[in-house]
Amino acid sequence: MQDTVLIVGAGPAGLSAAAQVAGVGYKAVLVEKEDVLGGAPILSGYARLVPSGEWARDAIGRMVKRVEDDGNVTIHKGARVTQLNGEAGRFTAKLSNGKSVKAGAVVLATGFTHFDSVNKPEWGFGTFPDVVTTTQVEQMVTAGKIACPSDGRTPERVAILLCVGSRDRQIGREWCSKVCCTVSANLAMEIKELSPKTQVFIYYMDIRTFGLYEDRFYWKSQEEFRTKFVKARIAEVTAAPDGRLLLKGEDTLVKRPIVIPFDLVVHAVGMDPNMDNPEIAKVFGVGLEKHGFIERGEHYTNTCGTTRPGIYSCGAAYGPETIDDSISQGMAAGARAIADLHGLTRKAS
Amino acid sequence: MAIHEKSLIEPERLLRHDNLVVDGVDVSGHWNTMITPRTITDYDDDFEAVIQRYPGAENVHRCWQCGSCTNSCTMYAQNVQFNPRYWIYAVRTGLKDEIIKDKDIIWQCVSCNKCTSICPKDVRPEGVMKALAHWLEDEGHMPKSPSRIFDEEFTEQIYARGRIEDSLVLLNFLKKTGQPLVPQWLRVFGVRLMQYLPVGLGMRFARNFFIPPRTRSWGRTGEVLRQYVREQKEATHG
Ligand SMILES: Cc1cc2nc3c(=O)[nH]c(=O)nc-3n(C[C@H](O)[C@H](O)[C@H](O)COP(=O)(O)OP(=O)(O)OC[C@H]3O[C@@H](n4cnc5c(N)ncnc54)[C@H](O)[C@@H]3O)c2cc1C
Ligand code: SF4
Ligand code: SF4
Ligand code: SF4
Repeated sequence: MQDTVLIVGAGPAGLSAAAQVAGVGYKAVLVEKEDVLGGAPILSGYARLVPSGEWARDAIGRMVKRVEDDGNVTIHKGARVTQLNGEAGRFTAKLSNGKSVKAGAVVLATGFTHFDSVNKPEWGFGTFPDVVTTTQVEQMVTAGKIACPSDGRTPERVAILLCVGSRDRQIGREWCSKVCCTVSANLAMEIKELSPKTQVFIYYMDIRTFGLYEDRFYWKSQEEFRTKFVKARIAEVTAAPDGRLLLKGEDTLVKRPIVIPFDLVVHAVGMDPNMDNPEIAKVFGVGLEKHGFIERGEHYTNTCGTTRPGIYSCGAAYGPETIDDSISQGMAAGARAIADLHGLTRKAS
Repeated sequence: MAIHEKSLIEPERLLRHDNLVVDGVDVSGHWNTMITPRTITDYDDDFEAVIQRYPGAENVHRCWQCGSCTNSCTMYAQNVQFNPRYWIYAVRTGLKDEIIKDKDIIWQCVSCNKCTSICPKDVRPEGVMKALAHWLEDEGHMPKSPSRIFDEEFTEQIYARGRIEDSLVLLNFLKKTGQPLVPQWLRVFGVRLMQYLPVGLGMRFARNFFIPPRTRSWGRTGEVLRQYVREQKEATHG
């Protein structure tokens, strides 16, 4: 039992945690509620990833294969943990598929839920077919064609609206989703590659392409791919008589109202706490922080910890996170779990 | 209804016909005042490319509106309406009218290049100012600037003779810009020159003024050059 780590969620974070645990000779049991492994990048069909530029299906596909091929990893797909008993060093988990798992530690790699744009009705999602989300555009890029869903035409002009479902007190989302600026700058380039004549505008409040993403994505998108950045938070998306969309708002730099026609409007949707989190908190007995993400333990010496000993977390379960960092945190959580288990065995002997 | 309180409205947005009769009713003067809306209803997607064809404005699309150029600007310190950041934005989004509105100040850029030194994105705003001044002239929004008149006179003499005659360039420039032909500074300059110049050289100056020399075997070179410059211009600006 003390040689097994239960990992919940098989996204980038969970896959990485499993590989780490198995890699040092411990056993990993991976429980994923969906029927496919890979998490958001696979489930939502992302195109090329930031920052590697690799196709999601290739990059994350390799991560999936690595754990599938590893004899130390047991995988339960389409399953959830319904009950957890015991304490650090000796947990017993009941799964929804009727099985039960004994493990010394648990890693929650349960990730996030995409913001549902219907909750911002003024921006037209769900009302106008040509208002889409970044995940839909990711899928268009993966399929190799940018088109307006209404009639299949190639858009002459695309607007990407940043911070949809983030940084917005009106809807109780006071966090920055961290990746959407970079992802949007990248998508603008991918749109241009597929349709060089299309003009792409990004409406922003701030551009947060942190660290090395600054020149590689923001500057490159603006300078080489001619993405136009307009500082404005759009007030409303409506329909023009000719079937195009009208973006209404204030151009803050010109201090004038704008009503600009567009063919395709894209919501850069944010990362919500996993909608399962209330249930996860109950089943695993861990706390949630004020926004609803998994609460972090004290980070300096209880790295990757939660509010409950023996239960760890990583990646977007903690809050908006990038894939690369989720992977690193997954490894860290795996290593942390093993180290603690190792400590327990040493104490016992 | 007549609109009397106009102090809050920019003058260029007020439309008024001095003489207007609608359905037999005389609504001349302030009775027909209309206000054009402030709403921007479209971007001109091609405008940026038009400006970028002028030398110096190639990097205008890099601007991220930090305002460093305006902050550092010599002219902005004199007149807050002189705002390179703002004009660059208007170029980027294709707000042509905003440029035309400010045609009487854009040319005031003194080319100190403080903006160029400070710009974190290497936009070279000074070049953009020059490009805008040229565009305004090319589109007929501005009379030719003195420097353009000077350049043209200079170039014409090159086409004609393969060289310039300084005194003629100056004379024609002063003529074309409607300035007195012998301004005070020139008179002083002339008198001093006479005092110190060897007589032979003075004679040559005088002769060149009346019979401007041509570069040896210039032949049709001027014509060819003129044609080439025309072609280049057409290729760049269409
Ligand atoms: C449009 C968009 C594009 C993005 N593009 C990039 C990019 O290019 N580069 C980048 O670095 N980041 C990108 N991101 C962020 C990226 O999606 C996350 O960083 C990453 O998915 C986080 O990985 P994770 O494993 O922590 O969570 P997830 O990917 O969300 O994986 C969580 C997994 O846990 C499973 N799960 C959830 N709850 C349970 C439960 N109760 N029981 C069992 N299983 C459960 C889920 O089904 C899922 O498989 C993008 C985000 C968005 C919204
Ligand atoms: S990363 Fe950018 S788009 Fe996303 S929430 Fe933060 S500021 Fe908004
Ligand atoms: S070069 Fe022109 S725009 Fe630039 S700082 Fe000097 S006056 Fe201002
Ligand atoms: S300093 Fe450069 S980047 Fe900043 S506003 Fe001026 S031109 Fe734009």
